[in-house]
Parts: sequence; C-alpha cells; structure tokens
Amino acid sequence: MSLYKTPKQTQSSSYEMLSSFTLPLVSAFVHEDELKTRMRRRPVLICVFHGQTASPPFSSTSSAEAASPVSHFHLKPVLFKRLFGIDTALIKSPVILCGLPDGRLCFLPLRLPGSRLRVLHSLEQPVVFIGASVVMKTGPEHAQCLVAVGELGRVLLIKMDKGGSEGECSRAGFTEGCVPGPVVCGCVDKRHLYYSTGSDLLALDLSKGSSGIEGQECGEETSAALQSPTSLNVCRVISLAQPTCSPAGEVQLLGLSIRGQLQRITLPVWRKDARMSKLPQGRCSARDLLSAIGDVYERASVLKTSIKSKNQTLRHLNQVLNISFLLLASTREEHFPIQEKPIRCHAMTKWSRLLQKDSLNLTCVLDNSSPYVLERGWTLTIAAFPLSCSPSAGGESSSTNFSFQFCNLHPGETLEVSLPLAAAGDTYFPVTINCSLTFSVTSLLGEEEVASFTGLQSGCISLPLNTLTVDWLHVLQVKSSTASHKNTTSQPNNITTADTIQAFVRSHRIWCSGRGDGGGGGASALKQEQYSACVRVSSELLRDTLVLKSSDLDPQEPMLAPHNLCISLLDWMLSDSLGGVKMGHRGDEIALSSPVVHAQGPNGDTVKLTAKEVNIGEESMAKESLSAIEVRVESSSVAAVCGLHHAVLHRVQTLLQRAPKRPASTKTVQSLGLRQALQRAECLLQQIQQSRISAAFGVGESTRQMTHSFLSVYRELRENPLLII
Amino acid sequence: MSNKIYHTLSLFDKWVQENNNLVNKWKQQEGGGDTLSRDQSQTHLKWCTSEFETLLRKIQGVPPLADHTQLEVSVVYNACVCFTAQSQFTEAELLLKQATERALQMAGNFPVASDPPVLWRTVLKSVENTALNSCVLYLLCLQWAIWLATCQLKMIEEFQEELTSLVETLPDGVWDDRRSKARGKSFDISLLVMEPRRLVELLQICTSIAQGAERLSEGHSSEALSGLQIASSLPAPRILVAYTHFLSGSCLAHMSRPQMALQCYRKALETDFRCVCALYQSMLIYRQLGNTQAEIQALHLLHSTRMLPSATEPALACTHLLSPSSLLRSQSLSSLLSVPSALSVLHNLALKCVLHGRVSEGVEHYLDLLAAFHSEDHQVHAEVPPLPRLTELYLEAGTALLMAQRPADCMALCDEVISTTLELLPEKLILEELEQRNEIRDVSVEGEDRVAMLLWTGAAYLLQGHCQTHLKDWKQAVIHYTRCINLLMKVWFKKRGFQPQIPSADMIVKEGTYLSVLQKLKGLSLAGRGISFTQTDQLKEALRDLQLSLQAFPECVGAGLWCGEVLWRLGRRRMAAAHWEKTWTFSAQSSLE
Repeated sequence: MSLYKTPKQTQSSSYEMLSSFTLPLVSAFVHEDELKTRMRRRPVLICVFHGQTASPPFSSTSSAEAASPVSHFHLKPVLFKRLFGIDTALIKSPVILCGLPDGRLCFLPLRLPGSRLRVLHSLEQPVVFIGASVVMKTGPEHAQCLVAVGELGRVLLIKMDKGGSEGECSRAGFTEGCVPGPVVCGCVDKRHLYYSTGSDLLALDLSKGSSGIEGQECGEETSAALQSPTSLNVCRVISLAQPTCSPAGEVQLLGLSIRGQLQRITLPVWRKDARMSKLPQGRCSARDLLSAIGDVYERASVLKTSIKSKNQTLRHLNQVLNISFLLLASTREEHFPIQEKPIRCHAMTKWSRLLQKDSLNLTCVLDNSSPYVLERGWTLTIAAFPLSCSPSAGGESSSTNFSFQFCNLHPGETLEVSLPLAAAGDTYFPVTINCSLTFSVTSLLGEEEVASFTGLQSGCISLPLNTLTVDWLHVLQVKSSTASHKNTTSQPNNITTADTIQAFVRSHRIWCSGRGDGGGGGASALKQEQYSACVRVSSELLRDTLVLKSSDLDPQEPMLAPHNLCISLLDWMLSDSLGGVKMGHRGDEIALSSPVVHAQGPNGDTVKLTAKEVNIGEESMAKESLSAIEVRVESSSVAAVCGLHHAVLHRVQTLLQRAPKRPASTKTVQSLGLRQALQRAECLLQQIQQSRISAAFGVGESTRQMTHSFLSVYRELRENPLLII
Repeated sequence: MSNKIYHTLSLFDKWVQENNNLVNKWKQQEGGGDTLSRDQSQTHLKWCTSEFETLLRKIQGVPPLADHTQLEVSVVYNACVCFTAQSQFTEAELLLKQATERALQMAGNFPVASDPPVLWRTVLKSVENTALNSCVLYLLCLQWAIWLATCQLKMIEEFQEELTSLVETLPDGVWDDRRSKARGKSFDISLLVMEPRRLVELLQICTSIAQGAERLSEGHSSEALSGLQIASSLPAPRILVAYTHFLSGSCLAHMSRPQMALQCYRKALETDFRCVCALYQSMLIYRQLGNTQAEIQALHLLHSTRMLPSATEPALACTHLLSPSSLLRSQSLSSLLSVPSALSVLHNLALKCVLHGRVSEGVEHYLDLLAAFHSEDHQVHAEVPPLPRLTELYLEAGTALLMAQRPADCMALCDEVISTTLELLPEKLILEELEQRNEIRDVSVEGEDRVAMLLWTGAAYLLQGHCQTHLKDWKQAVIHYTRCINLLMKVWFKKRGFQPQIPSADMIVKEGTYLSVLQKLKGLSLAGRGISFTQTDQLKEALRDLQLSLQAFPECVGAGLWCGEVLWRLGRRRMAAAHWEKTWTFSAQSSLE
C-alpha cells in the first residue's frame, strides 16, 4: 500500500513541466491518516537559494520576486553546502525543500543532472511549517538557521555548529525540541518563531542557543529554550503571514482567525538586554491586560454555550438512536406483521374531483405507538414508484417523492398527511409506496458545522418504515346499482357517459390499429373486443378464510351460501385494507347486492368483475369435482384486465397465507391439469423466445405482427388458470 | 401510416452501426492526431474502450448465433486492441477467453479447460475447416500481441506452428469473402480499428526482435543472428528494420567480429537515423579497437543527434493504436537499446579530445558542458552511467584550459572549487588503511566524502600553482604550492594497530587508493615548489623540496631531472649525474612497461 505524490516543477514563464518526481510513502499509518484528513495535510514546499548569489536567477526578474518573496530563502553558504552538497553549491542551484505529511524533510537540487529527492531528516510527525531565520544577524538576508515544525509540536533547528574541541570542522547541527502542540501554522522573523496552536499564539526565541557558549552546552541550551515559549494571548489563529518589523523594533504579525477575521497583532518591543524575562513586564499596559481578559471571557462564554448545546444534542441523539434501533430491529425481522410494527404507516385512497378532473389522493397516516417521541429533525418521506410506466416517459420509471417535516410526535399520536397520487389516466398501477423516516444531522448541529464536516456528505440517516402497494382494486370507482344513484349527485351522468364513449373510442382505435389491415375490419369493429382473465379459487378455502374472518363480526351466519360467498369475496376484495391501504370512497358502506360489479378504472375504462360458482373436475371422475368460485375480470382495455388480474391474484395470495393449515388435500384433481398447464407454459416460453430473437435481429416479421403475437401469447397465459385450493 | 415510419433498423444492424461509428470516430481522431495532446488522445482511447466494452456486453447477451459471429469477433477485436494499447492486458485476456469460449459453444463443444494454451488448441481444432476458423484466427492474433507485450516468449514459441500458419492464411482475405457473400448492403460490414494484416506484420517483426534480444542476452548469439537476418527482410516500419540490423550487429560483436558488427550498425543507421543505439554501440567498438579518431567522430555524431529536439521523444512513439513500443517491453531489449544522456556523451567527448591531443576542441566541449549545468532548462533525470562529481568535472575542465594555454580561466575555475570546499575542510583527517578504494569511506553526516573533498581542494591549488608557473609568476606559484602542501599535510595515515602518522615514503601504496592520489599530489606540489624555488635561485629550498617530492612520489620524472639540475648548479656534479642516470633508467623502464 503506497501513496504517490507528484510535485511538479513548473517554470514560471512558460508553465511547462520540467520534470516530475514520485516518491512512495510506504508507511500504512500515514495512509490511514491521509484518508481522514486529506484536505488539511499537504506537503510544505519552500525554495532555498545559495547565499552567495547576489541576485539569484529566479528572483532577479522583478515579477517573481514580488510574487513570492516569502518562500524563497537565501541560506548561508556554509550551511547550504553542508546540507545540500558541494555539487549543488558549485553550480548554485536552487533547492526545493519539502516537508511531507509523514514527517520526512526532503530536498531536491533543481539543476543538478541526475539528482533525486533525498531525505534530510525525519520529524516523525506531519510537517506543518518550514522556514529560515537570520537569527541574530542584523545584516541582510543570509539565513543562518532552517526551522521545521511538526504538527505535534516538534521543532527542528538546523544551523552550523562551531567547530568542536578536537579540531573538527564545523558541521551542521540538528537540534530538536518540543513545544506544546498541536501546531496549526507558523512563521519566523529574525529571531522568533511564532506559531499558533489554535487556542493561543506563542513566540519562541530562536536566538537563545546560538549566542550561548559553544559546543555541547550550546545544544542543550537551545532545547531548553525551546521548551518555554511565550504566550501572546491571541487565540484561534489559523494562518500567519510573514512578520514585518518596524524600525522602532515593534513586530507586526498578520493573522487569520478561524472565524475569518484578519487580525493585525502588534507585539511589544523585545528588549535585547533582558534575556531572562520573556515578556518585558514594564511594557504591559492595562489595555493589554483588559484585552486579554476580554479575550478569555469571550472564550469562556463560547465554551459554556457550546457545552449547553452539546448536552441538548446528546439528549436528542439518544432519542434518535432509540428510534433507529427500534426501526432497524423491526426491518430485520421480515415476518413481523405490519400491524405490530411500533411505528408504521397505513394509507387510504380516495378519488376526488377538482376542476372537473378526477384525481386520486392518498392519505397516509403515520402511527407512533412506540414509547419514544419523534422530535424535531425527523421527516416522513413517502416515495411512490409506479411499477411500470407509460411509454411516453421514455422507459425511465419515474418516482415521486414527498417529504413532510413534523415537530414532536408523542407516543400514541398519529400524523396524517395526504398527497396527490395520480391524476386520472396518468399513472400506471400498481404503485409502490415506500415510507421512510429520515433524520437529518443538520437539525442537530446547525448549518455551518455540517458544512465544515466534509466527511458527512448527506448528513442524513434514512430508516425504512414499511412498503404499501396501491393496486388496481384500490383505485376502482365502483358503479354498483345503489352506488350509481348516490353518485349522480356528485358526478353528473353525462360526464360518465362521455367517459364511457371516450373509453370505447380509445379501445376501438387500439383495436383498429391492432388489426387494421386485417380485411373486413369494418364489420367487426362494432363488436368491441372484450379482454378477460379469470382466477379460480376453491370455495372451501374461501369459506374457511372468509368465514374465519367474518365470524367475529357476524356470528349469526356461520355458513355462507355460495351466492353470498361470491358477494363476500368481491366485497372483501374491494374493501379490505390489505397491506395497510384502504379504499376511502366506500366509507358509506354500500353492501354489494349482486356478484357482478361494474366499475371504472383509473384510466376511465369500464371494467366488470364477476364472481360465480363453478364446478371443476375432470369429466372422467365426476366425484372428484370441486366447487370453486371463479372471479372473472372483463374489460375492453388490456391494461385494465392485466392490472386487475394482478391485483386479484395478489389478494388471493394473502388469503392463502391467512388460511389455516390443513392436512394435505386428498383430492388429486389437478395432477393431470397441472401437467397440461406446464406443457402449455413451456410451449409459450419457446414461442416468446423465438419471437424475441427474431425481433432483435429484425428477421421476418414486422413490428405489428410481433405485437400481435405477443398479445396472443399473453392472453393465452391468462386463460385456463389452475384452481387455487 | 406508411411503412417507412415503422421501419426501424434491427438490433443487429444497430450494433454494426454503433461499432462502425466508433471505429470511424477513432480513425478521424487518429488522422488529426498531431493536433491533440497525448493526454487527450489517452482519454479518447479510454472512452473508446469503454464504449466497445459496453457494446460487446450487449452483443454477448444474446445466445451465440453463427450468423453474428463476424460482428461479435469484430467488436472483441476492437475492444482488445484498445485494451492492449492501454496495457490493460488482464482485461483483454478476459475478453479473449470469453470470446473463445463462445466460439467453442458455437462449434458445438463446451469449454473444458481454463488453461489458455489448452483452450486455444481445443478451439483451433474444433473450428478447423469451418466458417468460424477465420474469426478465431483473428482472436489468436490478439492473443499473440498480448503474449508479446507481456514478454511471454515461451508461449509464442509453443504456438510457433499455428502462428506461422496464421501469417500464411491471413492474406487470403477469408474475411472479405465472407463479407461480400453475406450481405450486399454497405452498413452491415463491421469495421476494425486496426487492419489485421498490419497487426500480424507488426507482431511478426516485433516477435523476431524480442526473441533476438532474449537469445542474445542468454548468449546464443549465432542462433539469434539467423532469426534476425530473416526478420530484416520482413515488411515493417523502418525503425523496426533498423533494430533488426542493430541486433544483428550486437550478435556479431558478441561473436567478436567487430568489423562485421560495424557494417550492421551502419546498415541500421542508414535504415533509420533514429536508431541512436547503433551509433553508441559502434562508438564502443571503435574504442575497443583503439581507433580514437573514429571514436571521437562517433561521439560527435552521437552528441549532435542527442541534442536534436526529436531525440527527447522515444523513437518508437507512434500515432497508431498499437505502437511497437507497447509490444517491445522486454528488459534485455531495453538495456540493449539504452543510450547515455547528452551530458554524459558530451563529457566523454571532451575527455577523449583532451586526452588525444585535440585540446582546443576538448576545451570547447568542457565549456559547453559547464554552461549546460548553469542553464535552467535542462532536464533532470537519472543518468544511466552517472556523471563524475561536478568538482571533478571542474578540475578536468581547468586542466584542459591550462593545456590550451588559458591559465587565467583555469585559475577562475579552481577558485570556484576552492571557495566551495574550503569552509568544509576538516582541521585534521585520519585516513585508515583500507583494502579497497570502494570500501567504507569517511563519509560525514552530510554525506560528503571528506577525503575526496580535501583532495579536490589540493588538486585545485596544484593547478593554480601550475597556472602561475605558466605565467612565470614564481612567487605566486610558491604560495599556491605551499597551500597545497599544507593542506595535504593535514591527512594522517593510520595503519591497523598503529598510531596515526603522516604517511611516509617507504609505505607500499596501492594504485588507485586515496593514499596513492595523496602521495602523487604531494610529490607534484613539492616538485612544483622546488622548481619555482629554482627559478628564484633559492637553490637550498629547491633541493629540499625536490628531494621530498621524490620521496613521496618516486616515479616523478620531472622532479628527478630538476633535482639533478639543482645539484649541478650547486656544484655537486657527481650526484647530479647519478640522479639523472637514475631518472633516465626509471623513465625508460616505465615506458617499456
């Protein structure tokens, strides 16, 4: 695992890349760190010149000098030679010095042929700052000392040591010391290193050691001096500019605080004679003290409010976590019935008429039966996905999202929201409704903290509640004999007839284009083609389940007549709140009087639902015949038939799940039928594959024929369903 | 509702069209390739690759049908070529494997082995003499390219037969037959990004080159030679033909036939002047043969070609999709083809000129070299044979300047060296007895060799002394020589188990060690000072210095002769005669050796 960095060296005039270097960072520790705070840690670069060059080639052009005077240093020749080698000094090549996030201090001579990046020293903590200081010399320019500061407060001074006692030549001395970190930024002037820890700005006198006694003691004294930086009582500085020194000896620093304030910090005159006292006492005026007190007070009050708000947030977070665990636990157990979920949604569909336009409204009720309060910050998000979509939408299944913010939903309370699901003839059912609770961290932290929190992209957690399905049966507008009377008041007849005519014309058109050039289409056009599909359910099963269900409601009628059974099946289908969704418009509880229901689908097509009792069984063994209820769906619209068939099957499925366990039926009615059905299905599958491949390559048939063949296959699939026991 | 509205292209035609659009787009881009930067063409290539891959995924979603093999193979071919051009070999191999497995299914067999060679053999056998054969051969082409690019020469040898037959069958244009036969319409012919015929030709010669280099590095020169001779007559880009000539030359050089090797190198250069390695190798042969004039000329040429702007970009770079450079990646070949950088060549050239009497020319070259170091725009890259240290280069240049009668310039150079090193010199330095020169040196903390540094400074002082002698400023000469001597006296020598001492004459000094250089420097500087004293008539001091010089460095002929001279002047004629005699015999001996 290695990271690569490519510092590019560009020439200031033409910006062409001279060369690039890659250096592998091998340590895995660094890699982890990098991931966490990649934004903040960058290598620090400075350019160092050989001191002897009076006008170095780079900065001799005035523009370059004006642009970056800070990052160019002229190092004292001896130190330069010692650190970077004779060859570099001989051709007076500028040297790039770079501090890497893994603590290595590397250098690269720019002009030396075949030079490679070499490591000068390792600080063992991310390098924050590199600078050069003149240290004590008032004469211009040649820096005598290189300073590197690590993030955790390690300070490295590189300067020439005076020759030792045994006649050794002078060598470069590396002095390391520690200051209390973390160091955020730093800068140097002639004698001091200024650095900010975020909570305070400190100054460190670099001149102490070098002016001391020679040899070993010198080193010790330097490190001793490093441990006692002077506090300047300025907090929250995150960036410092190169200090300027007025002729009177006042040092001015420009600092940028974390709040975006640009501060000019004027330091008191450093007295040259008083070496022991770090901050000359006599110069401390009352104003300084007052400003210091004010600063401290400000910091304290900010801390107090932040602690308070943090406590609040923690309490809030506790609630959030409790709810999250509750919801997660209930989603993990898939079999958990919806009714028993502590926080759940159920819904109701309702047709409404606004500006002569029908539209379907869905009323969602969020029921909080958990012991926790849903506090500020929670949002109920409802997403509606049509299962299929209109071809005009370009094949992209579009989902609609609604979100409702709410304040404080206490245990036992409910929240009712309603949303438009679809306009008439607009959406394709069934529609899946995903309900989820979303919690946004923004409400906990406040905007600016979230914005600074780069690791948190969305700042939201989303917990799924439950999924509801609105299918065709939910959206039928029933026109039963009694209901039609009632509806006339609200729904003028002419519109209904107009709708019917419209539906007729539409289906007629489909029919025509489907069979258009068939020949004698004109005659048969009048006879509207009815599509139909049917589902057969054994009446025994129905009796068991429906009776079982209604027994608690209606104990007087334990045994339903077959006719009644049909009606109750249809009634159940149209009214039951399956999967939490209810049909709203049947609130007036019209009992169905006949096993035939005429209704209007969402697209305006009329549909007919019939339930009748049939006997099924092979002719050979009449004994084995079985009574069953056949639910037949008929309509002139294919879509309506498909949708309703799907919906009915879905209902029956739930019915089956509800059915009490019985010993396996001894009846062997369907074994033969099963095989036949299987064969038929296989045959159909083959047919489909055939036409698909030929469709793909456009061999043979035209699109129209293809559609036709698909339609016939589809209809055949719908026919002759097996009996559901 | 006429038919036209409903008339849509079938999926198959759509795919063909998509493929052809991509290929055409690529070809357009390739045609205008010069205007685009390398980065842009890379991104374009990446985009093409992913598009081909998506298309292929769509096509492979349908069960394998014999009718659409041609389309599928074309897309696989295009995608693989793109992958290979980006050196994504694993992806390309995966695609190839899938395609071959599908081909097997079409032929009615089911893939059994996952091992590539076995799989290929099964496929080739099962599709033999069927319509699929040509398609599979195209895929084999790509497999060949991948093997070559990943240096799996063994695999190529294993499939030698099949590949040779591939080369023979491809030009028949089986593909084109099928195309014209299959459909009359124009849009359903799927295009290819690279003409397979060209690819095969390229692969053939590149394989020969790679194999030749491999055999050469293994020492089978004659075997390699025969293969390369055949390859040199193949149709190919000029640079590749030049490489075959060059490699033949290298083989001949290995078989110690330098003249024939030179012929081959010449042929390589005549074929393509970008084949700089041939020039470099012929220079080495001239050096080996001792033909200095020819060597210098070759160096000259080499330097001027390296300075050409085109020299910076590799000769193999090519705007086409699969460039030879992406196919020729073997280590042995690249080491054969490597040429030292312009600076290194220039240094060699300057040194050769100076050593072989063309001093003024050499001086010019040295000055060019120094100017190159001070210029800002030269490239920083690793030198293969590293240049000597810059200080040594300065001293060499100084010497050359002195030889060219330019003492003032020489002085300036030496001044620079001295000013850089002087501050870093130690007060006292102990040189330990070392077995070899390259053993542990006295490397100080900052990574500089302190002994070397001292010797450089000493040499610089010596040169300055020589310059002053040259200017007949004897006093100054004495000053510089004295500085040199003082410096050299700082070095103490420590034998194992003994105290450090100033090295004396009776020690046996091995050639090439620091100690020998030190003694030589000491002898020369003492002799120089002695001679200067002689010129100023300080004969006593002169005699002392000359004798000390002879002690430190007995082989110094000049010191011996001058010593005789001084003795003569002092009137000690017999001793003078003895000295001369001794020196003469000595120099005669050394010249005999």
